[in-house]
Amino acid sequence: MAMMPRLTAVLDRLDRHLPQTLETLKDFLRFPSIGTDPAHHADCRATAEWMKRHLEALGFTAALHDTTGQPVVLGELVQPGLPAAAPHVLFYGHYDVQPVDPLALWTHPPFAPTLVKGEDGRERLYARGAADDKGQLMTFLAAVAAWRAEGGILPFRLTVLIEGDEEGDSHHLERFVAAHAKTLKPDICFICDTGLWDDDTPLICTSLRGCIADEVTITGPRIDLHSGYYGGPAANPLHALSAALAALHDKNGRVTIPGFYDGIAKLTPRRRKELQALRFNTRKYLGDVGLKIPAGERGYTALEQIWLRPTAEVNGMTGGYTGEGSKTVLPSKASAKLTFRLVAGQNPALIRKNFRAFIKAQLPRDCTVTFDNQTHDNHAVLLSSDSPWIAAAARALKDEWGRKPVIGGEGGSIPVAGAFARHLKADSLLMGFSRASDAVHSPDEKYDVDCFHRGARSWARLIAALAEGVSS
Amino acid sequence: MTTLDQTLAAVDQGLDESLARLFDLIRIPSISTDKAYKPECEKAAGWLVRELKDLGFAVTAHTTPGMPMVVAHYTPAEATAKTPHYLFYGHYDVQPVDPLSLWETPPFEPGIKTGKGGVKQIHGRGAADDKGQLMTFVEAARALIATTGTLPIKVTFLIEGEEESGSPSLVPFLKAHVEELSCAAAFVCDTNMWDAKTPAITTRLRGLVHDEFTITGPKIDLHSGAYGGAAINPLRVLTKLVATLHDRNGKVTIPGFYDGVAPLPAATRKQWQKLKFSEKKFLGDVGLKYPAGEKGKSVLEQVWSRPTAEVNGLWGGYTGAGTKTVIPSQAHGKITFRLVSGQKPEKVLKAFRAFAKRQMPKDCTITFSPHGGGSPASEIPAASAVVAKTAAALKDEFRRDTVMMGCGGSIPIVRYFKDVLGMDSVLAGFGLADDAIHSPNEKYDVASFHHGIRSWVRIMTALGH
Repeated sequence: MAMMPRLTAVLDRLDRHLPQTLETLKDFLRFPSIGTDPAHHADCRATAEWMKRHLEALGFTAALHDTTGQPVVLGELVQPGLPAAAPHVLFYGHYDVQPVDPLALWTHPPFAPTLVKGEDGRERLYARGAADDKGQLMTFLAAVAAWRAEGGILPFRLTVLIEGDEEGDSHHLERFVAAHAKTLKPDICFICDTGLWDDDTPLICTSLRGCIADEVTITGPRIDLHSGYYGGPAANPLHALSAALAALHDKNGRVTIPGFYDGIAKLTPRRRKELQALRFNTRKYLGDVGLKIPAGERGYTALEQIWLRPTAEVNGMTGGYTGEGSKTVLPSKASAKLTFRLVAGQNPALIRKNFRAFIKAQLPRDCTVTFDNQTHDNHAVLLSSDSPWIAAAARALKDEWGRKPVIGGEGGSIPVAGAFARHLKADSLLMGFSRASDAVHSPDEKYDVDCFHRGARSWARLIAALAEGVSS
Repeated sequence: MTTLDQTLAAVDQGLDESLARLFDLIRIPSISTDKAYKPECEKAAGWLVRELKDLGFAVTAHTTPGMPMVVAHYTPAEATAKTPHYLFYGHYDVQPVDPLSLWETPPFEPGIKTGKGGVKQIHGRGAADDKGQLMTFVEAARALIATTGTLPIKVTFLIEGEEESGSPSLVPFLKAHVEELSCAAAFVCDTNMWDAKTPAITTRLRGLVHDEFTITGPKIDLHSGAYGGAAINPLRVLTKLVATLHDRNGKVTIPGFYDGVAPLPAATRKQWQKLKFSEKKFLGDVGLKYPAGEKGKSVLEQVWSRPTAEVNGLWGGYTGAGTKTVIPSQAHGKITFRLVSGQKPEKVLKAFRAFAKRQMPKDCTITFSPHGGGSPASEIPAASAVVAKTAAALKDEFRRDTVMMGCGGSIPIVRYFKDVLGMDSVLAGFGLADDAIHSPNEKYDVASFHHGIRSWVRIMTALGH
């Protein structure tokens, strides 16, 4: 049987070694690994090389893999004596960071990591990537390092995948994952790229909405017409488009596309109760953006609407004359861009098919429609609350933070989780330690040192909880 | 031989000279949209001044901020206070000629060519629009004066040189000369016949109201992941608003929209039915098949006699390449309403705005352009004496019933005459749909020109009785 270190020893070690761990993180943060900027592609490769060496130092066999974008670092922890039946965990993070403009708004240079003690006594590490995602991903690696330094074998086989295109085109990774599906084959994916529920309450994100996009162009007359000479008898594609899109929702806010809700599990009273207990401040959430009334499906709270219910949204629309003043044109074409946020159980391909059929059915006789989709589908992710992974993570987080974690959702999509679900048939456990004040994507990005530290301790506790589960 | 017959015979005999004079006018490249041609416009105005003076008119070429305005008066020696006074409007400026390479003959070297079916055609820029048309009433006046020594009515010619560039000087000029230019009615010779054999008077012109609106939901653009579902999307609200503007029978649903709209007189409907208007061709030419307007009305009725609500432009959110998962803060639209007789523009605008406001969900606001507004339709009763006399004269000339047409668009001059001078307009012209006005190889059938002159002789004579 694998040796089990004492958890307290691992946590003590993390406490003792925090200054060195922070120095390592600062080394990592000094790389200007802006994946979306070709001028920084060499920096991305250098960052990946650094990560490879770092993993090797921790006992991984690691290699850089070329992709259609920036290189992926893939490492497997060498653990002789690990039982063959041990589950396989794939840990995911990304080494690329957001661009830094506007540079003038940074207090410290974005790639010169700086520790600053705030007025509240909290220490903060300022740098681009401090939270998103270099700091976050290092919490996990720090925990792994401490566990092993105390002589332990992890209770799972561990593969680490660190990519460099998260802030850019997610298709590079999607292609990589698809191509390596056979060798990766994890039982579960760990993703450390999300935030806390509030400054002191941890969050496990168990549901992510998926997303599919489509563009609709309706053509009426073959040329733009004068609205005096043709107004009345000529079909106006702006009217046709409006009518078709207006028909997408009924008066209760439900999407009317046939089969749209097929496959969605009913929201259980237990889950509703859990969400209610969160005391989500709908008033503030909507009030902050100038709204008052939840506009989604009637009978669902705002939180349910954004976490657990699918949507059909028009993101852009254009047609006819849009310049200054008036022009009496009856345009030939009108178009709209839409996205559908999907939840677990929905079939993206079927939704797209049904949507297109629905629009076609709405068209007046003289209009034709074309569709254009240039984006990949993002699948929704739902991790069952009964999953043992969640139970272990919940326990670990509660022990570390002194509060029960919120089992929450995310209205947006994390494409990588969708890619893991789609190509690896694996669920993802999403937990992270970023605070709302971290200014990810903005100037003066920071990561609170206590988040970094407690994050590492949380992962250590999770490893311990899993080890107990495995050994019991 | 009656006096009228003598005059008509003089027109026939003098046709070649009439054509020669028209050619002289066409040779002057009076393109008003291009400042480089201002001297040519002045030259065309000067040419008209001389011609009309020679006929015995009192002529002035008024300077304006743009091109000269030619005003010519003829008062018969025996005129009394009861002698009717009519205004005839035309324009001497022409459209630009690009693309020049597509012209079969140089645009300002007029001549006669033989078209399809042996039809004689005058070619040149302005042959129809409007030099050929305006010269029909000038030549008619010449023939009347030559054969009778006078005109049967008091005549004022108003010939402008800025019609193709939006007539910027016209309204101020009319306002400055209300007394001088106010007549019993105006004749505008700038429209078409129904077909090559059938004369027409355009008696209905639709009016227009335009507006622009902005729907605001969230105060900033939102991420559709973080807010999709819970936040109101103004684009969705916009589509609902536009979608509810019409019922499924194509009727506009704005309360009060049709207030004051009279049903089409049965006689007019019958006449229009007899026109054998090809809906198939009208729609087919622009890639359509099915009339999309109010159910139960023919295409001609829809265009000529029914009001519309048309959205001319919609925009909002992300419209670039690819996708962006945004819920925009705002959505915008531009709309015009074509109005028919009886509808009041201010009332329609107010009714639309009230309707739109009512469609707004609680979290959305709608604002409207400060420039929204418009002008009413104009309709001359087909039974009025001036229309009846004109129609009868045209019928005598063409030996076919005159069609009382509508026009779906608006012709600004008609509105200006009504608004500034309080005068109705009779739109009678001799152009044909294939005259290629505004295009290369503009032409005017010799028959249009010839019948046009003869028609004005008949009309002026009839008006004098």
